Amino acid sequence: MRKEFMLGNEAIARGAAEAGVRVVAGYPGTPATEIVDLCGGYPGVYAEWSANEKHAFEVATAASLTNQRSMAVMKHNGTNAAADFLMHVNFTGIRAGMVLITADDPGGLSSQCEEDTRILVHNYAHLPMFDPSSVQEAYDMTKAAFELSEKTELVFALRPVMRINHAGGMVEYGDVAPQSRPAEFVIDRKRFVMSAVVEKESGGELRPKMRHRWLNAKQAELKALMEDSPFNRVEKAPGEVGFIGCGIGYAFLKEAERIHGAKLPILKLSTLPLPEGKVLDFVRGLKKVVVFEEVEPVVEKLIKELCFEHKIVLEVLGRGGYLPSEGELSTNLVLTAVEAALAGKDYPAPAQGQYVSARTRTQCPGCSHRGLLVALKEVVRKNGGVVTGDIGCHDAGTFEPMNLQATIYCMGSSIPMAYGIKKAGFDKPVYALIGDSTFFHNGLTGLASAIYNGADITVVIAYNSTTAMTGFQPHPGSANNLNQPVTPIEPGAVAAAMGAKVFRCNPYNVEETARVIAEATAETGVKVVVAEALCYLKFGREGKISYTPRQVAVDVAVCNGCGLCVRTFGCPSITLSEGKAVIEPSSCNGCGVCVSVCKRGAIK
Amino acid sequence: MKFDLVIAGVGGQGNILASQVVAKCAMDAGYNVVNTETKGAAQRGGSVLSHVRIADGEIFSPLVPAGQADVLLGFEPLEALRYIGLLGKKGTFIINTAPVPTILANMKVDEYPSTEQIVAIIKEKGLDGHFLNATRAAKDLGNVLLTNVVMLGAFTAVSSVLQPDVILKKLLTMVDEKFHADDSRAFAVGRGLIGKEG
Ligand code: SF4
Ligand code: SF4
Ligand code: SF4
Repeated sequence: MRKEFMLGNEAIARGAAEAGVRVVAGYPGTPATEIVDLCGGYPGVYAEWSANEKHAFEVATAASLTNQRSMAVMKHNGTNAAADFLMHVNFTGIRAGMVLITADDPGGLSSQCEEDTRILVHNYAHLPMFDPSSVQEAYDMTKAAFELSEKTELVFALRPVMRINHAGGMVEYGDVAPQSRPAEFVIDRKRFVMSAVVEKESGGELRPKMRHRWLNAKQAELKALMEDSPFNRVEKAPGEVGFIGCGIGYAFLKEAERIHGAKLPILKLSTLPLPEGKVLDFVRGLKKVVVFEEVEPVVEKLIKELCFEHKIVLEVLGRGGYLPSEGELSTNLVLTAVEAALAGKDYPAPAQGQYVSARTRTQCPGCSHRGLLVALKEVVRKNGGVVTGDIGCHDAGTFEPMNLQATIYCMGSSIPMAYGIKKAGFDKPVYALIGDSTFFHNGLTGLASAIYNGADITVVIAYNSTTAMTGFQPHPGSANNLNQPVTPIEPGAVAAAMGAKVFRCNPYNVEETARVIAEATAETGVKVVVAEALCYLKFGREGKISYTPRQVAVDVAVCNGCGLCVRTFGCPSITLSEGKAVIEPSSCNGCGVCVSVCKRGAIK
Repeated sequence: MKFDLVIAGVGGQGNILASQVVAKCAMDAGYNVVNTETKGAAQRGGSVLSHVRIADGEIFSPLVPAGQADVLLGFEPLEALRYIGLLGKKGTFIINTAPVPTILANMKVDEYPSTEQIVAIIKEKGLDGHFLNATRAAKDLGNVLLTNVVMLGAFTAVSSVLQPDVILKKLLTMVDEKFHADDSRAFAVGRGLIGKEG
């Protein structure tokens, strides 16, 4: 046993490597992203960026069926995208140990939405889950999950929250023992063919019902495992009010206990299903318990059910109404709740905070998206069109000062939504703005649907050759995958093959881009504009940029201080000072996009 | 022993390096260390908060609870104001008074409070600490990127949890050799700024 400082994601990758993982697949998503790269760094581990999370899940499952330990890595939105597959693999089970990392982001600190994937993975798919309370536990649980998965033939899920993935702590760890198992695929259609087949042996029952029965029968085995799990434990102390900490909720609870200054009766719960015996032992003799969990009242409701079945009268408080039902927990929130519950009071209504000027996200100085956004805005300003948006760095085009995209939902929504607006009878042009990584993730099928249904829209693909927002992971349109150089799949070629009319432009050239988008708009049918320019931040470091850098400055004799370049454009390098625009030379990257913005020609 | 440090700044100011230096020194000294950073997406310019928690016993939460920090280093005044609630009543702040305006303030759709306003709000809270212009000190040394080292030097003048020479040595192991002379000077200047501000 050695001890070292590790980040949560490093600890998870380490645990997986020590457990002998052979195949790891994921799609980038904060806070889980780094795990895939880190796993790929261990010898003998095949890691990949799949085109989306569903495919990552499928690749990893197939590896498990081929007798190799595997792991699928995603954030909560990705688990939603993979839900269809989840609702099949739960019924078939797996062969070699397999772990699903489904990272949640309570508070939506770096996400489009706040959600709790325990509901999807456990309540809905009935799969077992671990909810780590520390970096050490993330490591321990990952290792344990592989063992237990193989033993129970079920996918085990680890649900870290951002405060675990991105936290660092001392971790005791072991050795990576090289595993050599034969890669054998044993055909077992009764398990691995999910279909409405009549099962002779089961008296003619249909297979979906039989597999459901198999999964239900597994629950007793899982409950017994969790009863003995070291991840659940009782900390005894006198009192009639007990406190239950789940995952990171336990960490906040222990911190609150220290500040509170007296030992509290605590039950640490970090598994689903619950260790029912442990829970019943803990609550007997208590009048009230408060459950701290991220973020929905999942454990709280299970405990209520359990008490109902065992005819135990107990007040069970938590996210279901006593505590705030939305947002992240914190030590202070837990401390407030502990003191209120002990005093028999309601959780006090939180005071509205004082607004401190926000720092919003925007594109980097020199980013090609800014040229594209400005050009598209110019076009819709003239024709009254609507732009549906998608996920990526360009989504900051929805904020001040661009205020361009009118919708942002999930990966790939922009294209079907754009033509949905048209089908509803909207008579002005509609544009879908989507990035390249997102296009390959879930945009392709939306484009096929649009073309097939005779839509009349313009799809603008921002093709910058990387998944920039999550830290520059490659995707099918990039010149490499996680392991080696590849021939990029060019989005325009794909769109053309599908039957779209394809146009191309360099978004650093604002006039050209606006002209091309306008030309595309004038055509009927599904038009695709591929705005191709490398991500400045990633490729600039490698000396590859898609514009000719130029020295840009404001001619103070021409500038009348109208502020258009600041109020409608938003490159962080431009500010207004003493009635004139000023370009900060230390941050300006000389992309020249702002030159087109000043109608007076003051930026040269 | 328990020591909680928070560093509030803006992406690109180097507060993650500063927090790593402190965390590594504490580990070398045999303490338990837990840390985390809250930051936005890949782009620069967002608010970045680093938490470093040091103790000789167990540490549970990676986040410093509100009102518990022993030291708050504000690399930027607005960010210091945003997170001042983390500082304990007996804690100490060191705040760099050089503002980094927000994008929204630059566009005149939001207001960036004046340094005087920020200083007044923080002083009203009755907390102990120091306001200094680390950015100017770094510029005087010839490189604005030395701001974080100036702040780190200042930190060693208010906290005895780790030895100043140990912190400087650790910092030098984490940066390219060509910056060693500049970093050492900036560190000394930062240390010297405490007690001389005003
Ligand atoms: S990371 Fe790349 S794509 Fe994202 S804003 Fe910066 S330059 Fe643009
Ligand atoms: S540079 Fe042009 S757009 Fe900007 S303030 Fe001056 S005149 Fe207006
Ligand atoms: S100031 Fe102009 S040239 Fe410089 S980075 Fe911004 S848009 Fe590009």
